[in-house]
Amino acid sequence: MKLLRRIGITFLSISLLAACSQSTSSDKSQEGEKIIVGATMLSMQNEFIVNVHDEMEKKAQELGVELITVDAERSALKQIEQVESFIAQKVDVIIMNPCEVEASSPAIAKALAAKIPIINVNSETSTKPSAFVGSDDVESAKIALKFIAEKLNGKGNILMMQGYMGQAAQIKREQGAKEILKDYPGLKIIAQQTAEWDRAKAMSLMENWIQSYGSQVNAVFAQNDEMGLGAVKALTAAGLKNKVIVVSIDAIPDALQAVKKGELDATVFQNAQQQGAKAIETAVKLAKGQPYDKATLIPFQLVTKENLAKFQ
Amino acid sequence: MKNTTNTYFDLAGGSPNLRISGFGRFGIFVAFGLICLALSLITPNFLTWSNLTIVVTQVSINALLAFGVTFVIITGGIDLSLGSMVAVAGVVAASFAHPDTYPVVVPIFMGLLAGVVMGAFNGFVITRSNVPPFIVTLGTMTIGRGLALILSKGRPISNLSDSFNFIGGGQLLGIPMPIFILIILFVICAVLLNKTVLGRYMYAIGGNEQAARASGIPLKKIKMVVYTLCGGLAGIAGILLTSRITTGQPNAGAGFELDAIAAAIIGGTSTSGGTGTMAGALIGALLIGVISNGLDLLNVTSYYQQVVMGVIIIGAVVLDSLNHKK
Repeated sequence: MKLLRRIGITFLSISLLAACSQSTSSDKSQEGEKIIVGATMLSMQNEFIVNVHDEMEKKAQELGVELITVDAERSALKQIEQVESFIAQKVDVIIMNPCEVEASSPAIAKALAAKIPIINVNSETSTKPSAFVGSDDVESAKIALKFIAEKLNGKGNILMMQGYMGQAAQIKREQGAKEILKDYPGLKIIAQQTAEWDRAKAMSLMENWIQSYGSQVNAVFAQNDEMGLGAVKALTAAGLKNKVIVVSIDAIPDALQAVKKGELDATVFQNAQQQGAKAIETAVKLAKGQPYDKATLIPFQLVTKENLAKFQ
Repeated sequence: MKNTTNTYFDLAGGSPNLRISGFGRFGIFVAFGLICLALSLITPNFLTWSNLTIVVTQVSINALLAFGVTFVIITGGIDLSLGSMVAVAGVVAASFAHPDTYPVVVPIFMGLLAGVVMGAFNGFVITRSNVPPFIVTLGTMTIGRGLALILSKGRPISNLSDSFNFIGGGQLLGIPMPIFILIILFVICAVLLNKTVLGRYMYAIGGNEQAARASGIPLKKIKMVVYTLCGGLAGIAGILLTSRITTGQPNAGAGFELDAIAAAIIGGTSTSGGTGTMAGALIGALLIGVISNGLDLLNVTSYYQQVVMGVIIIGAVVLDSLNHKK
């Protein structure tokens, strides 16, 4: 019991400390009329989310909006608590980058009940927010699989690396991939496995796969770039890279570099910049009571060596 | 000196030959052998040279962490900050490993130093306060993760030099480098634990801390060394991981502590301290690696993999304990 209490206290003090440091940055402006936006992000350890957030900050500065950001550290529970504290702070608009489809939904209901508009950025919740800014993950996988289908002339064996099982991005990217495969009966997924969005795990998985499927595989579809890059490492080490197509999603800088070097065949660009900027723009419109789009869908784009320059 | 240490050793309780001999507990080796046999019968892709080198390479990082945490657990402690130390060491090493900046010894030294400093910090706080290691290292786990994010600004550090990438990705005589590193560190750790006074003191402290103190063993000093050693090994693991995936990832190593502790315990290290071997830790790590490799080869779906992994781990330890009772 004593130990439990101590753990509790440790956690409490750590989270208090974290809370302190994050709010100090916002204490500067006290003009009063400034629009205050509270943002809770899925995970500030994820490069893509960090990019979205950077763009939000940039746009916020440009529009004179005060942005308070908190990190939900992939915990929906934490995210709900953060939204509750935004409500208590009476921010003008809340931006939520949801941790989970279902589990983050109560946060939406709470914000709307408190009459504070809430925007979902990047991914969705089952409860509809005031506005959504992001991209449709199903589309990203469709683009990736179409590329593979064209490269292989509609015939071949595919290995699919899945993201963290049960997350919206994993479910949707898988759905997109399977929808395209229906149109190409010659394309088969011979094995699928999660590498939890992680480069090192993906490398190990690919190494293991090469042992059993090395001679049959024609393409690898990784549901994010980190895993795609891990697969590339393992294939290169086994001397198979020139025989196997690797395509992944997100277009993170490392992936663009790999496309440039010809290691990664293609990635799908999810526009962090647009997502971040549009989220803040929509927030300002909501705060000022101006007309706004209920859903801002930012299209994905295929990135190959040919059109790479546009994205760097 | 030798005589006195033997006295401490007896104070530790239990049968000494279990701890001295590298292969004290056979049960887990039998279980490991059975699993390997089963896998090689089920799939032709398991028992091949290339697959075996791959498994050992994949296992090397977890094994190094298991070695470190075995020292700690033997003295009756625990280290939950392993994964975070891996991340900090990896990020630090990566920041010094860009091509045409420093010679490759600099990132290696800096990564190792990062691990050593964090380990020493653990040791310092644990020996100077009454706070249990569980809490201290839980704290450093969070601190370390934060440091890794601060140092890397939340982004992976890539574009590392070829010579740095050779550590985790290169081969020597057809054998991947991580395997050499694993073997060398295994020998060093095993010798340290079994053949030195320091190792005997570790067992003595874990077996009965009061008795060890009464017999004049410098508790604080030994614990300090143990946590620092554990940090150093985590540092090397971090360098290895960073080199293997050719990027320093601030979120790398999350959850590694659990795998490492599992490996140590599967290998016969008791959580109450006083027993444990390096060979056991190595086998524990290999067991986890082989199961994961085998399940991938057999294309067992993700959902089932986790269940199967858990069942096999419990089964292996149960088999070991039955064997042990006889």
